[in-house]
Amino acid sequence: MSQNSEEKRQVKTLERERLDLGRLVKVGEAGLRIVGDSVRRTDDVLKATGKLKYAADYPQEGFLHGKILRSPYPHALIRSIDVSKARELPGVVCALTGGDVPGRNGFGAILPDQPVICQDKVRYIGDGVALVAAESERIAQKALELIRVEYEELPAVFDPRDALAEGAPKIHETGNQISLDKLRKGDVEAGFAQADVILERTYQVPFLEHAYMEPDCCWAIPQPDGTMMVEGPMQAPFAVRRNVAPVLGVPINMVRARQIHMGGGFGGKEDSPIDLCCRAAVLAKHTGRPVRISLEREEVTLQTCKRHPMIMELKVGVTKDGKLTAFKSTVYDEQGAYASLGPKIPPAGGSHVHAMVMSPGPYEIENCWVDAYLCYTNHPYGGAMRGFGAPQVHIAHEQMMDELAAELGMDPVDIRRKNAFKLGSKTATSQVLDQSVGLRETLDACEERFGWSQRSDSAGWVDAAKTKRRGVGVAMGWYRTSIGTGGDACGANVHVHEDGSVILYSGITEMGQGAFTVLPQICAEALGVELEDVRLVKPDTDLVPESGPTVGSRSTTLMGNAIILACRQVRESLDQKAAEMLGVEPERLVFCGRKVFDRDNPDGKALEFRQVAAAAMASGMRLIGQGWWAPPKASLDPETGQGSPYFVYTYSTHMAEVEVDVQTGEVTVTDYVAAFDVGKAINPKALEGQIEGGVAMGLGYALMEKVVLENGMPQNMSLQNYLIPTMLDMPDLKPLVLEQTNQHGPYGAKGIGEMPNIPATPAVINAVANACGGRVRSLPANPEAVFWAIRELGGPPQD
Amino acid sequence: MKIPIEFVVNGEPQALFVKPNHTLLDVLRDDLGLLGAKKGCGEGKCGTCTVIMDGKPVNSCLILAPRADGSDIITVEGLADGEPHPMQKAFVEQGAVQCGFCTPGMIMTACALLDEKSDPSEEEIRLALSGNLCRCTGYAKIVEAVQVCAQRIQQDKGA
Ligand code: FES
Ligand code: FES
Repeated sequence: MSQNSEEKRQVKTLERERLDLGRLVKVGEAGLRIVGDSVRRTDDVLKATGKLKYAADYPQEGFLHGKILRSPYPHALIRSIDVSKARELPGVVCALTGGDVPGRNGFGAILPDQPVICQDKVRYIGDGVALVAAESERIAQKALELIRVEYEELPAVFDPRDALAEGAPKIHETGNQISLDKLRKGDVEAGFAQADVILERTYQVPFLEHAYMEPDCCWAIPQPDGTMMVEGPMQAPFAVRRNVAPVLGVPINMVRARQIHMGGGFGGKEDSPIDLCCRAAVLAKHTGRPVRISLEREEVTLQTCKRHPMIMELKVGVTKDGKLTAFKSTVYDEQGAYASLGPKIPPAGGSHVHAMVMSPGPYEIENCWVDAYLCYTNHPYGGAMRGFGAPQVHIAHEQMMDELAAELGMDPVDIRRKNAFKLGSKTATSQVLDQSVGLRETLDACEERFGWSQRSDSAGWVDAAKTKRRGVGVAMGWYRTSIGTGGDACGANVHVHEDGSVILYSGITEMGQGAFTVLPQICAEALGVELEDVRLVKPDTDLVPESGPTVGSRSTTLMGNAIILACRQVRESLDQKAAEMLGVEPERLVFCGRKVFDRDNPDGKALEFRQVAAAAMASGMRLIGQGWWAPPKASLDPETGQGSPYFVYTYSTHMAEVEVDVQTGEVTVTDYVAAFDVGKAINPKALEGQIEGGVAMGLGYALMEKVVLENGMPQNMSLQNYLIPTMLDMPDLKPLVLEQTNQHGPYGAKGIGEMPNIPATPAVINAVANACGGRVRSLPANPEAVFWAIRELGGPPQD
Repeated sequence: MKIPIEFVVNGEPQALFVKPNHTLLDVLRDDLGLLGAKKGCGEGKCGTCTVIMDGKPVNSCLILAPRADGSDIITVEGLADGEPHPMQKAFVEQGAVQCGFCTPGMIMTACALLDEKSDPSEEEIRLALSGNLCRCTGYAKIVEAVQVCAQRIQQDKGA
């Protein structure tokens, strides 16, 4: 209930680590008023009253409706294509094939390897071979049926290991292997020689659907001046613009991308709007009219990106007292048909390299060796999804930690404590963690809150009839803030007006995570005004400075810093003016709650913020600030995978209790504690929301979610058979928030959007194994898989 | 061919001609411009299209428009009476809203539950709302919002 819910959540500030890294904002600056407060999220009333407009709610008068004819084959040559009948259908305005794309016939978040309209071959079921625009969706749909395509089927590849084999059918001209990335630290064979126990295990995870509740919908509107405006729910308007321009064959400044409020994204709406906006823009260019493409739920599954599946072969050595000595892993990361966000953007961007860097886990290990293959197959393609390659590798190393502990007869918590990162630890890439490492603290906090030792002692049969067994599981995790690319940076503009009101221009998008609340909070705090004084201009590439994508848990940190820098520029004018007006040195001024006063004389004369702003403006001073912030330079050696790829990490420990029905294999998660080191909780309530949602998604990954593919065809395209957790599946969740300040973050904050999703899956899987003895190494641990895992053991443990 | 129907929506009588293959959701959104109910799946699996029909929460995407003839419908737009309904307030205060796409449907189901049972247990809330999917929140704050709202309504009655 609400009272005990306040109680069950705790925010605790840990002792500050003192390392001088030229931090941007003084940690613990006196009197933070707005940052750290769970202020109401700005759009929530509109959402709760049904007034907030999503893409599907925008008027459609005057729009043409675009539809995509998709390939029924996973791999085939296009012999011929005839759209003439479709063109003749009344109400059809145009029907286009590959030759009709005005510019580059390719798009992609990193490499433009996906055709806007396939011309010579198709690479997955869902590839677009023709586009139609018509006066209604129904007519457009009819027109698709009139298009004749002759295909010549090619042998298809559905397993990354097959794709790498010699003589495998070639999916792209460049070959099936996109990259082999390597990580080499120490001497892994010497490490194994020191080990008392060595285990080899293979773990496997499937394609996952984002299952955002709002199906995709984007449109393109040609403007009178020749600009193409594209709009839709999108996480990365700048990436959309960067793709639409070359596809139309126009310079970047002739495309304008605007974000419409998103009904969930989770990484998926980084890719799909690029796809839809490019296609809508091509149709709009041909017809000279606004064109809208809206996908049905099934089309979302067929066409858009998913979470990458991986096969992970691990070999890990440990001494008998639990110290890890060597970690070796071969990762087959299945990209599917198109590159999307998989490939490397040097030095350490892209999901694949990220997965490799994270794969040995948040542990000190002297000797590490990873070979990570990224390759094409004829499946749908993998893109970004909450954790960007990290959830997959955590599922492997966190299960391995438990398997090693069991082999040693050690407690899973103890083996983790023995090896977990602390301040000064060296990662697998030999990065020295020089700040904000609260991992062990999260383990301690979680252990205490969960009551690990009592609970693990009482694992076993729940009922006298011996139908259900109870077990507990733990998992740890780490996740980067920032994206590790050379160009990772963020800009913000802040305009202060003579009446004290403020406009904030930011290109960070809102998908429900709370950016449109948290960013104005930071702006208000930095200027010393109230939250209601700040109006945020929604992402629009014509208005806001380049901000990069809203991904990688980077928004609060990078954009937060850019906002603070922009506010400082304005503050220079305000400080100077207020100093004159009060007759004190600018250093002694405090801006807080719309007042400006002398720090040393707080009860003396105070000026109104708007007075100072008006006076500054009347003297021709600059009240426009532009902030630009880039994280410390990322590095990663392309041969050895050594370097400092991401400047700071968030840490977390999760503990889960489950009950397993040993006859049916059904799993119920009965209790859950998750602890995080987030640097600084800017808005604790919004943060908890991220935790609860992330854990739910991780639980779905563990127990039920999988895109079932047969010969490249998704078999569960609707929410009827692609199951996600419902309210009945969620346990009572207790989030613990610890603050181990990050000196680079605004007010000490680190990213949080993705972290909660990551350890949740292995924590649940480990609890299942603890309960019933059976371990499911190929996810999901649905009732069938758990049932067989128990059978494989010859039945559940009898004690 | 169009079929005439008469029904009451948010207290207002409506007489319309509808296509027999259109759903109640289509009619609400396209003919009446009530955009609060959302279409997350169109096949009765997500609950984003939930409205209250004759006192019961229904997936409006599953109801063929002619079947709405003679019914009394409440949508999320019909809850607020000058100011937001206590359930809407509770959702906002408890932080039960993230992307918001599931919110209108969730709120309608929750209101129908409290109309039927003013003091539901946590299990009853979870069961009643289990047909409404949310991918963002993990549901914790939604359950709390319903509990807070129920409590407040009780208190107001007592006062
Ligand atoms: S749209 Fe009606 S249940 Fe999903
Ligand atoms: S708030 Fe996004 S689906 Fe519920």
